[in-house]
Amino acid sequence: MAPEPQTLVEALYRLPDGEERGFRFLGLDRKERYYPYAAMRAEAERRAAFLAAAGLEKGDRVALLLPENHEFVLSFLGASVGGFVPVPMYPQATFKAVDAYLDILAHIVEASDARALVCMEQNRDVVEKLAGRPELEGREILFAPECFEGAPPPFERPAIGPDDLCFLQFTSGSTSKPKGVMVTHGNLVANATAFLGPHGLNRTPDDVGVSWLPLFHDMGLIGFVLGTLIVDLPVVLMPTAHFARMPRMWLELITKHRGTITYAPNFAYQLVTKRVRDKDLAELDLSTLRVAGCGAEPIRAKTLLEFADRFSACGFSPKALLPSYGMAESCLAITFHPREEEMVVDRVDPAAMRDGIAAPAAEGATDALEIVGCGVPFPGHELRIVDEQGETLEDRRVGEIVARGPSVTPGYFRNPEATAAGLRDGWLHTGDLGYTVDGSVYICGRIKDLIIIKGANHYPQDLEWAVGELEGVRRGNVCAFSVVRDGTEELVVMAEANRADAERLRKQIAETIFADFGLQVADVVISPVGTLPKTSSGKHQRRKTQQLYERGELASHTAVGSA
Amino acid sequence: MQRSELFEMFQRMATEIAEKDFSGVTQDSNIQELGLDSLSTLELVGAMERELGVQIPDEQLVGIQTVRQLLELVEKRMA
Repeated sequence: MAPEPQTLVEALYRLPDGEERGFRFLGLDRKERYYPYAAMRAEAERRAAFLAAAGLEKGDRVALLLPENHEFVLSFLGASVGGFVPVPMYPQATFKAVDAYLDILAHIVEASDARALVCMEQNRDVVEKLAGRPELEGREILFAPECFEGAPPPFERPAIGPDDLCFLQFTSGSTSKPKGVMVTHGNLVANATAFLGPHGLNRTPDDVGVSWLPLFHDMGLIGFVLGTLIVDLPVVLMPTAHFARMPRMWLELITKHRGTITYAPNFAYQLVTKRVRDKDLAELDLSTLRVAGCGAEPIRAKTLLEFADRFSACGFSPKALLPSYGMAESCLAITFHPREEEMVVDRVDPAAMRDGIAAPAAEGATDALEIVGCGVPFPGHELRIVDEQGETLEDRRVGEIVARGPSVTPGYFRNPEATAAGLRDGWLHTGDLGYTVDGSVYICGRIKDLIIIKGANHYPQDLEWAVGELEGVRRGNVCAFSVVRDGTEELVVMAEANRADAERLRKQIAETIFADFGLQVADVVISPVGTLPKTSSGKHQRRKTQQLYERGELASHTAVGSA
Repeated sequence: MQRSELFEMFQRMATEIAEKDFSGVTQDSNIQELGLDSLSTLELVGAMERELGVQIPDEQLVGIQTVRQLLELVEKRMA
């Protein structure tokens, strides 16, 4: 076999010709478009020429605000072939305040110093508002596909090496404005060959990937576009908007195209388990699926096991469940649970966990915390658990997860402070807390979110999941955090619910937290639905919620009622 | 189709998706205040689209906040 390609562009030029292999896109317009690899390559070359003619030079950033997946992928590849650096941006903001959305877009354009912005006619309204911002001054605005029509101007492909920047992945920070993670061609190829290679998903010529994941986020972009192109794995992509409107379309698409690999965050597995009706089960065939990966947000054992149980009638194998761990700073993934092995759930003692020790719970304990094993690091990658002094901890001791290897970013774009804080002596400090057992990693939560009360450690996720079980609480819309009052850390729980349920829930939440965790809640806030601060990928922002709370700006049913 | 019929459809579908009673809401209610987050609201939009044979692109949903605004948008797309 030929040695691995060095860059995304080299990989693109190695893909086989012919009609059989390529990408299938379901459009927002519900039309299906099939692009064999050769057609993608030809279109990428054309787009590279047009971008160069618009004044872009090698290394220049180009922001992509493209709601149609095929337009996004072809423009991204066009930028890559031209040696430019794409900056994917979140293309829609439904039911959200327009100004807050524009603030984020303007920040990303400015922080990436993008020379041009490629968008589409259908988001012209937003783009015109954006264009009026001072951050956009002097930057080119292009509308696809019109800007790529006609005969392409003459163009010569530049040489691109593994150390060249491939793209900037802006991460939706929980505390600060989004930062641009630099992903080099070398990072990308290393990660793709790891997670799709023999120690990862072990790609075969018969594989078909199916995804609804948004392409402005690493799981959709690297997992189902760039990584799959690098190893020649055909995919079928559907718009996230369609998944949101009808979640079961995801499973219908897997059935129709005999998908073998799919991926989603925890919430999506929960949603389809609930939404697919009994009578629809007969129409679904999930027996071809050999990998149903889960990542990007905390993984709950119960959710995945309920999914496996519900869809066993459709031929789904629980061995397909593949929990994984990673972050944009390591491209996509750094550990995978071994494929075709049943998921591992570690049941640990909650009392010991408060002291930072993941001791196995007693047999049959009803209060055990269930933590999902996310597997071992890829070859060439290392992972350690360290204490505050940076000393490596033994198995079953909770500390910060640090990692290094060829997938790890050289840093944040034009942000030396953030780079120095995140990368120390070549190790990426993830800010995540976890522990290892025989080399396999288990994730507990974010360091910054840890709630320490009377010397005991509490992971907000555990409290939030318990509260989320109560009737009337919106699933996934609970936030537990602590505030310091008179020098003492105190627990606050915020939950989204209807006004009618507010009084009852205030009492029930405090009772549940006391019964399950022995903790006194200093305050329970019941807020209107839709007010919990979230990132563009739907994770809630605990830090921001805490700040709003401390400023007395967190929306609450009481506050609304008394106004 | 009358506005009142459309509103009844909204109530019925919202009840199914959010698993709670929507009989007491008015057209001036704020959608998110009713217990529908943006993901559930998109599901609701999807259900109305299928029932009525219309399509409502995401970009038209920017800034929609009340039930009335949503129903007006649906009517506009049906026209």
